Amino acid sequence: MPTVRAAPGEASYSDHVAGPLAPVWTPETVSREESDLDRPWVTVVWDDPVNLMTYVTFVLQELFGYDEATATKLMLQVHHEGRAVVSSGPRERMEHDTSRLHAYGLWATYQKDA
Amino acid sequence: MRPFRRKGDVLVAKLVAAEVDIVSLLLDQLEQLLAADPDDTGGDPVVERLLPPGHVGDPEMAADYRDLTEAGLRSGKADDLAMVRATLPFEGGEVRLDADQARAWLRTTNDLRLALGTRLEITAETEPPDDPAGEEGSQLAVYYWLTAVQGSLIDALVAGRGGRR
Repeated sequence: MPTVRAAPGEASYSDHVAGPLAPVWTPETVSREESDLDRPWVTVVWDDPVNLMTYVTFVLQELFGYDEATATKLMLQVHHEGRAVVSSGPRERMEHDTSRLHAYGLWATYQKDA
Repeated sequence: MRPFRRKGDVLVAKLVAAEVDIVSLLLDQLEQLLAADPDDTGGDPVVERLLPPGHVGDPEMAADYRDLTEAGLRSGKADDLAMVRATLPFEGGEVRLDADQARAWLRTTNDLRLALGTRLEITAETEPPDDPAGEEGSQLAVYYWLTAVQGSLIDALVAGRGGRR
């Protein structure tokens, strides 16, 4: 899952304020454009009535190298919540991941992380 | 059908001739659908499900994805289908698959299930037919038969993972 990270080159107080509580970046100054660039893309698998639960788990292990526990957890999330993020990263890689899932018949899309 | 089981490095099942005939017929239909001019199959829910949009909300991005991936997905499905056809025992008998052939079978049986499931409007609540003799009942019976074949293949592949690598 994506975590909050400082955008590179952001204004920093750390030059002026020392100590462990000193903020290293200021959220207010992150422009919309920069945050969009910094925000990773995600590949989402959606629930469908045909794909078997064992198949979805198998494919997630096969394509992403997840161990069985992780793949099962993601599969159950798809099953119960209707969707799960199965990978994140640059857009080109998410396009590629989506097409690999499509080759196995899973219902997948990529999008900018919300 | 005797479901798939692992025997050493191969996965083995047994099909009777009538089952091979049904699979062959479905493969022919899938092949035709995938080879058809996209302009002729536009809007077909089965094609839409087999080659779904990669992105929703931005038509330009969805079109980019299609340009980038659709030809490769179509040819990959055609290759899988040819491999399944080549491993079918035409008079009935054993199906013996190595690891690559097993994956082709997984993807193709899944495509057949997606195609049939879409045509039959399968939902999470759909159950096996009470009357497998009727037109829709027989198609639904084929769908559940394919589910059993694919399910046994997945189980056999998963069973082979422990300790073998």
